[in-house]
Amino acid sequence: MERIAAPGITRRQLMAVLAGVGVAGCTPRREAGALRLWAMGYEGDYAPLLMPPFTQATGLAVEVQSLPWTAAHEKLLTAHASGALPDALMLPAGWVGEFAMVGALAPVADRALLDGLFPGTLAAGRYGGRDYAVPWSVAPQAQFFRQDLLAAAGYDRPAADWAGWRAMGRALKRRRPDEWVFLMPLNWWDTLVTFAAQTGDPMLRDRDTRGNFRSPGFTRALGFYKSLYDERLAPTMLSTELQDPFAAFAQGAFAIYPRSPAMLLDLRRRRAEIADDRWGVARMPGPDGPGPAGGISASLCVAARSPRPAAAWALVRYLTGAPAELHVQRLIGSLPARQAAWAAPQMQAPVLRPFLDQMQAPADQPNVVEWERIRIEVQLIAERLVRGDLTLSQATAAMDARVDRLLAKRRALLDRGAIA
Amino acid sequence: MTRQERTAWLFAGPVLAVILVVLALPTLLALALSVTDYSVYALADTANLRFVGLANFAELLATPLFWRAVANTALFAALGVPMAIGASLLAALALNEATVRWKPLWRVALFAPYVTSVVATAVVWQFLLNTRYGLVNYALSFLGLGPVDWLGDPRASIPAILLFVTWKIFGYNMIVFTAALSAVSQDLMEAARLDGASRWHRFRHVTLPAIGPVLLLAAVMSVAGFLQLFAEPYVMTLGGPAQSTVTILFFMFDEGFKWWNLGQASAVAMLLFLAILALTIVQTRIGRRYEWL
Repeated sequence: MERIAAPGITRRQLMAVLAGVGVAGCTPRREAGALRLWAMGYEGDYAPLLMPPFTQATGLAVEVQSLPWTAAHEKLLTAHASGALPDALMLPAGWVGEFAMVGALAPVADRALLDGLFPGTLAAGRYGGRDYAVPWSVAPQAQFFRQDLLAAAGYDRPAADWAGWRAMGRALKRRRPDEWVFLMPLNWWDTLVTFAAQTGDPMLRDRDTRGNFRSPGFTRALGFYKSLYDERLAPTMLSTELQDPFAAFAQGAFAIYPRSPAMLLDLRRRRAEIADDRWGVARMPGPDGPGPAGGISASLCVAARSPRPAAAWALVRYLTGAPAELHVQRLIGSLPARQAAWAAPQMQAPVLRPFLDQMQAPADQPNVVEWERIRIEVQLIAERLVRGDLTLSQATAAMDARVDRLLAKRRALLDRGAIA
Repeated sequence: MTRQERTAWLFAGPVLAVILVVLALPTLLALALSVTDYSVYALADTANLRFVGLANFAELLATPLFWRAVANTALFAALGVPMAIGASLLAALALNEATVRWKPLWRVALFAPYVTSVVATAVVWQFLLNTRYGLVNYALSFLGLGPVDWLGDPRASIPAILLFVTWKIFGYNMIVFTAALSAVSQDLMEAARLDGASRWHRFRHVTLPAIGPVLLLAAVMSVAGFLQLFAEPYVMTLGGPAQSTVTILFFMFDEGFKWWNLGQASAVAMLLFLAILALTIVQTRIGRRYEWL
């Protein structure tokens, strides 16, 4: 501050300096030569903690940018179109096909990276017969439940079949009519996808070019989904209205919260809000007992236009190695995709058991470019059904009509033989 | 070319060049995109790009969600423009009263929302509008009105966002109106008062004609602004509940940037451009009739 008052510096000089500082502040704060990695959600937030050992071993600095899930898809596509993708990036398994098709990803050069992975995690990273992604972590959906609330209603764990689950919901609601049972916001598609996957009927048909939502299986799943809202066991609420779902669960506004293992991070970080003996984890219920469940599995890819592919692959190799994956598991809960990591002592914790069991039965997801959008739009129609704007048969017909239109381009290209 | 003309071009040239590059050129390119089926497949391989003529427009007009977005946007504009301009005018008139003290403080306080980040204020309003704990419902409970599920009921979501938008933007026009009001002839006002004109008559026949041009400008800008409503629904409701707050621009953003259907999205942009142009022409006509321009 004394400098400003010092004689000899005119106001004009000061302004020039300030302007210079302003310009310098606008230039990207990019470390020269640093590898760039983009990741979403908790993975993005916590990935910087994984970097020191890598930098120490290789001398390569890594700059991690965290993307919010809600804006990740558009940000990545726009970055690809403008040639601004980072060297390495995380993608949820369902997006790999799309980004491989648009030419954003480099194929996996070193086959050894794909050895010893959990079976079933590889298929989503394959496009046109080549592998484009190395599975990193797996996050199947399971249900977190309030041990104390369930016990008060006479349950020591959630019922495993749909009918029993709903009956348990009724019992909980009877005891506490002002609170809710199931935390499943109407704009989250994960629970409906799980219910649908459990019935065994695929959601698309005809080489994944048409919707299959009028199938008996999906109709049954959607009917069950709707009944949970009709009986007021779940609120007709969007996630935007639930400012803090975790707090709502911790305060007992909900007894059941279907979520990925990332919830374990919240439960550790916010232990003060809910004690460890008050919650438990179980697999999602199925029509007649647990079955396949959805979830988000994260893969790591290297951008096709990365100027330093060798360094980027070294980073991917390090991050998908068992030690780094176990570190991720300790940090944010997501489970290792590499089987060797599962022998580690930390993986024997009882809370992880339901997730491990669930991983033996992953949900089959169609590997089409439009899948992300289909999931969202199907959920939008499901929301209208729940709100009473449509009947069940109208809703499934609307889903088929909408999805058929979304897939029109894919049908035309398949007929022309332009895509495989 | 005279020397004067050269100077004029020198001054106007850079601005015209910028307008050409960042306004006219993109508009033409968008027009070109709107007659192709540019999608994520074309991003992969330009061989997948086809000229489709007006098919994008035909498909758009057959898309229920597009009409829903048009209806929502029309509702936003029809309710929002009078609400926002009315609030600005009332605030400006109140601040113009000689009896009001600490005018600069009020002006800053009422203008502050306009310059605050949308996301930050949206978070605050989400809390205010919370069904269970929100202050808005708390205030309503004193009037004996039941709790309103502001952001969760498809019928309440548009009013809820309008409340937020009005609060956010009315400060700007308030400042503009304050400036216009200070130019109202005091002699005329005094004469009208001596002639026994009531408060309403003085407003109708002295104030209003004087600030007419400014009102027209505010109306034109507000209509254009409300037709391009995007950030508020995007951060408050993500278009929900049940797509009741999807606006035209929101629809365009989803199609274009989220799903990369740039052909379809450009068609939306073209239609919106034409709609705003048409409305502005109508408004200018009305303005001419009242000799405000």
